[in-house]
Amino acid sequence: MRVEVPRRAFLQGLGFVAGGLALGIFSEGRSALAASRDRGHSEIPNPNGTLTAGGLRPNAFVDVAPDGTISIVCKRSEMGQGIRSSLPVLIADELGADMAHVRVLQAPGDEAYGDQNTDGSHSIRGQYDEIRMLGATVREQLVRAAARRWGVAPAECTASGSLVSHPRSKRSAPFAALVAAAATLPLPKPGEVKLRPRSELPHAKAPIPLLDGPDIVTGRAVFGADVKIPRMLTAVMLHPPVVGGKLARFDAQKALAIPGVKTVIEIPAPASAPYGFGSLGGLAVVADNTWAALRGRKALDVTWDHGANATYDSRAFRQLMTASIRAPGTVVRKVGDVESALAGAKTRIEAEYFVPHLAHASMEPPVAIARIDAGSGRCEIWAPVQNPQATRTEVAKALGIGEDRVAVHVTLLGGGFGRKSKPDFCVEAALVARAAGVPVRLQWTREDDVQHDYFHSVAAQRIEAGLDESGKIVAYRTRIAFPPISSTFKAGEVRPPEGELGQGVLDAPLAVPNVQAESCEAPPHVRIGWLRSVHNIHHAFAMASFVDELAHARAKDPKAQWLELIGEPRHVTEAELGVKKVPNYGATLEQYPIDTARLRGVIERVTSLAGWDRRHADPARGYGLAAHRSFLSYIAVVAAVVRTPGGKIKIDEAWMVIDAGILVNPERVRSQLEGAFLFGTSIALYSQITARDGAIEQSNFRDYKLARIADAPRAIHVDLVESDEPSGGVGEPGVPPVAPAIVNAVFALTGTRHRELPLAKAGVV
Amino acid sequence: MKLAWHVAPLLASAALALPLGACAGEASPRVTVAVAPAPSSSAPGVLLPPEAFAGISDVHARSLALYGEAAKVIASPRCQNCHPADSSPRQREANEMHDPPVARGPEDEGVPGARCTSCHQDTNLELARVPGAPKWHLAPLEMAWLGKSTAAICKQMKDPTRNGGKSLAQIVDHVTHDELVGWGWHPGADRIPAPGTQKDFGRIVAAWVDTGAACPEESR
Amino acid sequence: MIRFRLNGTDQALDVDPEMPLLWVVRDVVGLTGTKYGCGQALCGACTVHVDGEAVRACVTPIRRAENRSVTTIEGLSSDGSHPLQKAWLELEVPQCGFCQAGQIMTAAALLAKNARPSDADIEQSMSGNLCRCGTYNRIRLAVKKAAGT
Repeated sequence: MRVEVPRRAFLQGLGFVAGGLALGIFSEGRSALAASRDRGHSEIPNPNGTLTAGGLRPNAFVDVAPDGTISIVCKRSEMGQGIRSSLPVLIADELGADMAHVRVLQAPGDEAYGDQNTDGSHSIRGQYDEIRMLGATVREQLVRAAARRWGVAPAECTASGSLVSHPRSKRSAPFAALVAAAATLPLPKPGEVKLRPRSELPHAKAPIPLLDGPDIVTGRAVFGADVKIPRMLTAVMLHPPVVGGKLARFDAQKALAIPGVKTVIEIPAPASAPYGFGSLGGLAVVADNTWAALRGRKALDVTWDHGANATYDSRAFRQLMTASIRAPGTVVRKVGDVESALAGAKTRIEAEYFVPHLAHASMEPPVAIARIDAGSGRCEIWAPVQNPQATRTEVAKALGIGEDRVAVHVTLLGGGFGRKSKPDFCVEAALVARAAGVPVRLQWTREDDVQHDYFHSVAAQRIEAGLDESGKIVAYRTRIAFPPISSTFKAGEVRPPEGELGQGVLDAPLAVPNVQAESCEAPPHVRIGWLRSVHNIHHAFAMASFVDELAHARAKDPKAQWLELIGEPRHVTEAELGVKKVPNYGATLEQYPIDTARLRGVIERVTSLAGWDRRHADPARGYGLAAHRSFLSYIAVVAAVVRTPGGKIKIDEAWMVIDAGILVNPERVRSQLEGAFLFGTSIALYSQITARDGAIEQSNFRDYKLARIADAPRAIHVDLVESDEPSGGVGEPGVPPVAPAIVNAVFALTGTRHRELPLAKAGVV
Repeated sequence: MKLAWHVAPLLASAALALPLGACAGEASPRVTVAVAPAPSSSAPGVLLPPEAFAGISDVHARSLALYGEAAKVIASPRCQNCHPADSSPRQREANEMHDPPVARGPEDEGVPGARCTSCHQDTNLELARVPGAPKWHLAPLEMAWLGKSTAAICKQMKDPTRNGGKSLAQIVDHVTHDELVGWGWHPGADRIPAPGTQKDFGRIVAAWVDTGAACPEESR
Repeated sequence: MIRFRLNGTDQALDVDPEMPLLWVVRDVVGLTGTKYGCGQALCGACTVHVDGEAVRACVTPIRRAENRSVTTIEGLSSDGSHPLQKAWLELEVPQCGFCQAGQIMTAAALLAKNARPSDADIEQSMSGNLCRCGTYNRIRLAVKKAAGT
């Protein structure tokens, strides 16, 4: 059932480009999906809305039905950040809706919603007012309808609790009674709609409930693999062990003999790099159920032609990277004359840092359901994707059909962390479904996920500082080598481009007269991708470790060292940084300055909360500090570590302070930061991906290890800075300072400096 | 087969050191298992039959040599990993801590929510790699082997207060027929089996018992 | 034909006796609250109860459940009223939610045997359940809240 909405008209004045696509606007939300199944309805989750006609829909995101039901579209994907709880509330509060009348619908992939990519921590940042404007516009329509009916001025009316009221005459009308009249009114012109003062928004005073919580704790929440459609078979892939490898030969006879196995389909490997969002190719085993498919895969007899990346060896590559950062690279940031300053320095301090490849390892492995209508060739995808529009584009491209013939329905995501903004698994599902001639659920196993990820770059960084006679830091040079993300999309990219150094290298405030950053070569041999907080992970690890090393080398308090290096409160300019342009996460420096006062502020606050200045009173605990600005938010972390009776390191307690500007859902901000601490703990302690003969050596949680409950500190104290600054990101910024805070704490406790992650390699945990 | 061996130097010169690198930092214990100066053909994975020891005329010496042979099995990670002296089983060839972390529990069968049999089945699983055998559980603490010398384990095996109240005959029967013990020779996946076969091991232990179940002295 | 009880309902299924309980529940019966996370008993996302004890469904051949009673998250309570489910919501434990059914089922097995678990008890029982979102601190608190400690 599709509801065609004249979208172009609705989007006027809201800055969204209507795609002109022949798809329904509304997609039933997951809770509604679950409810539909509970009621014993069709097995097919009805992806398209059940909006009744005659509603008020001034834009693509809000519908007020004649019965007063308010449907609000969540255009972003839910992956644990609580966006399905926060976004609709922001709109509903501005509208004046009673949340009891609101249902949340999950948007399918459609340009009508503007950017839907749930990535880069920007669901709220940069759009706080724009999102509220969606609700405010609907409110304005309803208010005008009421004012006209009562013959009063709209400005004298208020809207709250799904009622429009005129306090002076003590009149009020429910939204439902105003819908028909409001729908006939012309859309308010830009400038005519006013936002409420932030303090008047109900969510500013009361916690926002977790929308999907009840479904999650009862098992009714619908994640990717939970979607069922009639005649659907299950497929698993056997991918080439080495990126760029191809099938040399295969024999599927034994696989086909497994009861339940229906067919084995060859998916062509890409001809050459770049690999983009396409399938890596291989064989798909299609079966009645997952068990049969897995047994079938095991029974395949395959010989691979591993291709050029079969030479990839992590140990050898490490040496190559080390050589790379010991030689000059391409200068990407330059202030003063670092060479002379280093040459003339009284003391030089230098250190090299290393972070391995990392895998996303969301608890839900990639999975997609694809159905292709034999008659029309139209394709429908149900999948846990962060970027349904890119999914649509890639599936259409792979199938050789127009995007208007692909529909992408977004389920809940069992974790994303950047992995699920790469729709290669959806492309695979579509290709397999087409070849098999039946709807298919393509289930990646954990082994597929760990071994065929878009890995976080392995990175090496060398930092050198020069001190003058008085001990003042006069020179700071950093050289960075990592296979860039750009290599996944463009062949021949072998060093970090400036865009990828914007995350903690080009934009790091440094009150040092001579600064230079250089980009060094590190050619890619696997698919490189963005992982929660991206290059900030290795940049913050190197820099925040080095600040600590400087402090100890100069016999300074690390906190004082941080404040000295950041310098006085100011807005840092590109000229001061010595760069042509700071990427600044897509924002201008006018909108989102690099504000050293805010970075200093979180450091002051976190050290105060952690009792930093009294830390030496407890010699059994080592304290480490790190701070970082990323995704336009400022974070500082203190970790305290202790020794276990067995002599290993355990994280005992943690403090995190974030200044992310205006916060919509403080409770979910806290949960994101708590989660970021554990994500950072996995990086610090356990996780690494290595390759031998081009193939990834890890395969599952047995060897790609993550933090478990015993690794969680006794308490993670999160403090949120109250601010009227524009909203920054929240999902990612918590991660980068965690690993260096832990490593600095280990140094404080043990006197051993670890410059390589994970610490498990050194036997510390 | 020419056998070249000496009973007397059942000493450190023939010691086999098993590093326990992966134990959560417990002061780097090392297990020193004194192995019988084995007949030279005794390659890793091979367990000599009792007949190979027939040439040792001194019964006590023969018994010691037989125990030394049995100790090759006792030293196998397949056996040691489930005879820890603490709360956690071990895994893999270097006696790494069990991962996911698990605890012994009051009955050596795990704790609620994480019992041994929450994961381990009655047989090895090929696709999941999880090892399994009937009644998968830890050896009780008093039967711990990890971190102990061969000599100490020998005395412990003979001590009814530390061997589950078993007579020597029952010990022979246990090692020869118990299905969980037998898993050590069929561990599945890429795990290295215990030397020989369960039947061979049973015969060696039986011959050791028949020769007086002699135990070596502590090497220091 | 394998017979067992699932959330109080008798099942008689003609399936491969070696098929893991996870796939029987998800693919054959169609209950999807139990999740696939690793297939090797390493993450706990698939935790269900067999005769009241927590097992990893991804490695439990269905033959092992024959003539026994299986409870999945859907059967833990009829209406989400189990003390753990309530505590999970009160403390807003879930982030993405994918691992939480397994976390709750493991915790339920713990509380059934140990009504007042210590921190160490909770850690020991819950160590097999991974959460990539990092909700462990809230999980600890929620188990204690459900236990009334």
